[in-house]
Amino acid sequence: MDTAIVRVQRFQPETDRRPRLERYSVPLTADTTVLDALHWIKTEVDGSLTFRRSCRHAICGSCAMNVNGRNVLVCKTSLAREVGKGRPVTVRPLPYLPVIKDLVVDRSTFWEQYLRVKPWLVPLVPAPDKEFRMLPEEVAALQNAETCILCGACYSACQVVGLTKEYIGPHALLKAFLRVLDPRDTLPGERLAEVSGHDGAFRCHTIFNCIEACPKGLNPTQAIETLRLLAQKRERFEAERVGRQSQWAEDGSAP
Amino acid sequence: MYRSSGFISFFLRRLTGLALVLYLGAHLWVIGSATQGPAVFDARLAAVQSPFFKLAEIALLAAVWYHAFDGVRLLLVNWFRVTSYRASLLYTALVMTVLLTVMGGLPILLFLLEG
Amino acid sequence: MRWFQLQRLSAVALVIFLTVHMVVLHYPPFHIDFSRVIERMAQPLWKAIDIAFLFFVLLHAVTGTYAVLTDWQGVARYRRILAGSAIGLGVAGFIYGAATILAFQPPM
Repeated sequence: MDTAIVRVQRFQPETDRRPRLERYSVPLTADTTVLDALHWIKTEVDGSLTFRRSCRHAICGSCAMNVNGRNVLVCKTSLAREVGKGRPVTVRPLPYLPVIKDLVVDRSTFWEQYLRVKPWLVPLVPAPDKEFRMLPEEVAALQNAETCILCGACYSACQVVGLTKEYIGPHALLKAFLRVLDPRDTLPGERLAEVSGHDGAFRCHTIFNCIEACPKGLNPTQAIETLRLLAQKRERFEAERVGRQSQWAEDGSAP
Repeated sequence: MYRSSGFISFFLRRLTGLALVLYLGAHLWVIGSATQGPAVFDARLAAVQSPFFKLAEIALLAAVWYHAFDGVRLLLVNWFRVTSYRASLLYTALVMTVLLTVMGGLPILLFLLEG
Repeated sequence: MRWFQLQRLSAVALVIFLTVHMVVLHYPPFHIDFSRVIERMAQPLWKAIDIAFLFFVLLHAVTGTYAVLTDWQGVARYRRILAGSAIGLGVAGFIYGAATILAFQPPM
């Protein structure tokens, strides 16, 4: 039976003063994921190992961690491939966030910044009794951003987040982009104003870590660049949206 | 620090930027003395002609070019949809930096070795 | 947003000015001395170009340094003081530099 050495960062606040790396020898097959390895360690070696996970197929976003320096979802990270890179596989919690215990981090700022951009759609109320029509291109422009599973890999990889937790963050800016570009939304002006302050889209320094980290292949950097462009013509963009919404009320036609 | 090429680009851009701000002060101090006549100007200029400063001048060239090309890279990302080319854009910026630093630095190096 | 826009504007301007500066001064491999400086600095055209160059350099340096400093969480709360000082330093630098450039007269 093949085995692999996996080093896991441990930190038990009741007993440890500082985090430390523990080495474990775990069974390895072609299909073993890093999550499988963590589960094996927990059941066979040390039941106190603590980590977040749920769906184990890359949709819930719970298991984001830092493996060999990169933020990944461990449920879809092949252990064999990591071993093949020649170094011992090192699993640490997401960087730049306070560690609660072992591989579990405090995501409060992640959620606060997310709520700050009002991530829900605010449609016209009351809705006219007609279909709201959108062009296929408009729907396609949203598809990338809609796939976000809020795993936190991008937020935790961002160097600006590392420097200051006041920065809104790629996750929330991607969500803001999703809502701003959605023609059904009635708040584009307010959303653009929210992200054009000193800690919003203009604080991104185009480091691209978010794109590298995203397990879904999303592109927060491009979303942020678009927000920057739109923020600079906020009033005009808002006026166009108002016009579009009133057109819906009148005749339900597509633009 | 999260390990990535983007981080290196960011860090070098900041480092060269701050170095250039410091250089700006020194440069204005030397060049600004031109209003005080040739004696003062030549004295200040002579103070920064030693081999150490000549090598620093080549480093300065590298800093200016890197900062400029990386900055242009940022402008391209701002105006065009080129995020998928981010690695090759960084590589191009680095190559251009090396090229122009060598082009400008070689005469300085030769001057240093002759004198 | 304004700081960002100013930084980008000055960056674009500097690409142009820097190219001119490099082509005129640092790429022809001559050694710099007083005579080379005075023959340029006496001409009103070069004075104007250098003043504009100085303006954009200071703008870019001030917005850049401000951005670097305010990225740190600890420093960011002094944002207003930093902004004021940055603008003040920039203006002072520009006045000193422009005055020097304008005042320059070649010796007889």
